[in-house]
Amino acid sequence: MRKRPIKEAIIENMLLVCTVVGSLIIFFVMFFIFSKGLPVLQASGLSFFTTGGWDKTFSASWSAAPGKTNWQYGAVELIAGTVLTSVGALLLAVLLGMGCAVFLTEYCPGRLRRPVEAAVQLLAGVPPVIYGVVGLTVVVPLVKSLISNDLAKQMVKICILDGTSLLAGIIVLGVMITPTFVILATDALEAVPATYRAASLALGVSHWRTIVKIIIPVARRGIMAAGILAAGVAVGEFVAMAMVAGGVAFLPNPAHGLVFFLEPVRTLAANIFINNQVLGRKDMEAALFACASVILFICIALSLLAQLINRINLKGGRPR
Amino acid sequence: MSRKIVAGKMFCWLSGVLTIAICLGILIYVAVRGAPALSWDFISQPPKMVLLKGLSGGILSPLVGTAMLTTMSIMLALPLALAMAVYYAEYAGDNWGAKLLRLGNDVLAGVPTIVIALFGLIIFSYPELSFLSIKVTGTASERAFGRSFLVAAITMAVMVLPYITKSVEEAIAAVPSTYREAAYGLGVSKWRTIRKVVLPAAWRGIASGTVLGVGRVASDVAIVWFCLGATLTYSGPEKWWLPQNWLDTLRSAGSTLSSYIYYASPVGSGRNTEKAYGAALVLIVIILLFNAVVIYINHLAMFKPKASSPQQKAAK
Repeated sequence: MRKRPIKEAIIENMLLVCTVVGSLIIFFVMFFIFSKGLPVLQASGLSFFTTGGWDKTFSASWSAAPGKTNWQYGAVELIAGTVLTSVGALLLAVLLGMGCAVFLTEYCPGRLRRPVEAAVQLLAGVPPVIYGVVGLTVVVPLVKSLISNDLAKQMVKICILDGTSLLAGIIVLGVMITPTFVILATDALEAVPATYRAASLALGVSHWRTIVKIIIPVARRGIMAAGILAAGVAVGEFVAMAMVAGGVAFLPNPAHGLVFFLEPVRTLAANIFINNQVLGRKDMEAALFACASVILFICIALSLLAQLINRINLKGGRPR
Repeated sequence: MSRKIVAGKMFCWLSGVLTIAICLGILIYVAVRGAPALSWDFISQPPKMVLLKGLSGGILSPLVGTAMLTTMSIMLALPLALAMAVYYAEYAGDNWGAKLLRLGNDVLAGVPTIVIALFGLIIFSYPELSFLSIKVTGTASERAFGRSFLVAAITMAVMVLPYITKSVEEAIAAVPSTYREAAYGLGVSKWRTIRKVVLPAAWRGIASGTVLGVGRVASDVAIVWFCLGATLTYSGPEKWWLPQNWLDTLRSAGSTLSSYIYYASPVGSGRNTEKAYGAALVLIVIILLFNAVVIYINHLAMFKPKASSPQQKAAK
């Protein structure tokens, strides 16, 4: 074999150096966040996930004498807020998104298809802050109209019901992540070979039954990956959640019945956004980094899960 | 049985129509609420810190900030992303090291911007890095202000790096291998093949990936709020257009359209919903233009990246 010219070797090594540098930056970001959050996570231990009182602890640390630091925080309200809004939004998005994806691939008239897809793509590209403003001026007043004066008076000792609530958060977040889910689920449904559908229809199976029994089961891995990625977007959403879900770190109480959905929540990501003025105070900064670490951990787990599903899809699984 | 089918069909039609209705509803609502605020003054006046509605100025400096920040961060991220993508697609192969680096890339692409913003603000607050922003003196612990165009651009670049890398890699991988084989068959070396054959053939994919990155930078709030400044006050020199002031301008804090919208919204301290909707309308028009560019470029593309990763498709 001919010896490679020096120029080629130099360029290859330069590209390698660039790749290593870029990857080092990427891994450094993750390492830095985990390492900054560790002191609080260590000091609080499991109680970070099981005890509450975030706002109280935070204002206590804020007004504490200089030099006195507090490393113990409980974030159960924030974690519950993140989980409740994300799960609710995901349910909404999967329900609406599956219908829309099946509509797009199966029922939509050919001429309508491109405009609808363009609309979905545009919806995916609308900045979160605009969803936040629209949610705050449209959805929140709507939710507020559900709350009667008596109810608000009755609840005022527990929390203030002003329309910024779990319900508003779920609606806005659900609308935000639906386009992501629709785009991915449509791709998964389209990847089902046309022969499957043809074979099923030729056997006299109805169109609807073919969709439910053949097409959706074959595309299920792609649909699952779509749901996981949409969940990742939901967990990290902050500005819209800070605007419509309420600024109070409050743990909604299921014992209140349907009022549960009208109670305010705060998510982990919104918490970082809202409390940014405390940066500079070592202990509180670390508490925010602990929240960031939890988000980062959830996101890493979700994207690994999505990768795993794709991997299975390639190697084993049903033939495509 | 047949009732179930009708119900199912109805459900699919309904959700399709509902999705379109939501999309059009948001667009029309923003347009209707935002249109009254639009005027030449709104575009050409910088915002003023006045709560009186008539006197609060326009969106000139957020517009300029958006343009500056996107240009700077794409300029920082694109060369590195191109190099990484070429390496992954053409040189890296399929060993475990490359797999690990790719995995890291994919994971960071899914990390919320708020986390990266927190990272950016803290890392650039170290006094050693104060040359990028302004040094804060007079406090007990000396630290950098950590908020400036330079800081925000670097943080934004970190945020979009994995996105651009991923889409460029896919664009390169979509070039048919026959192109490379033909070049090799003519005795052309590997790097020359990449530079003269593969990259030109993949430029449309590269361009649309970059435009997607621009859209992400323009629509982000967290990094702007944390790393560029949490107000509207532009702290740089008055005569920013003079060359000797450029560096100071880059080291000063500012705002972009998306942070202006948050600031002017009812929860921000501006409390000027009309202006917020005006700025939202301008931002949506800009994003629409970006989308149109991406659709147009993809339309031109010779090789459509097949089976791209789900994350990438989500971004589109």
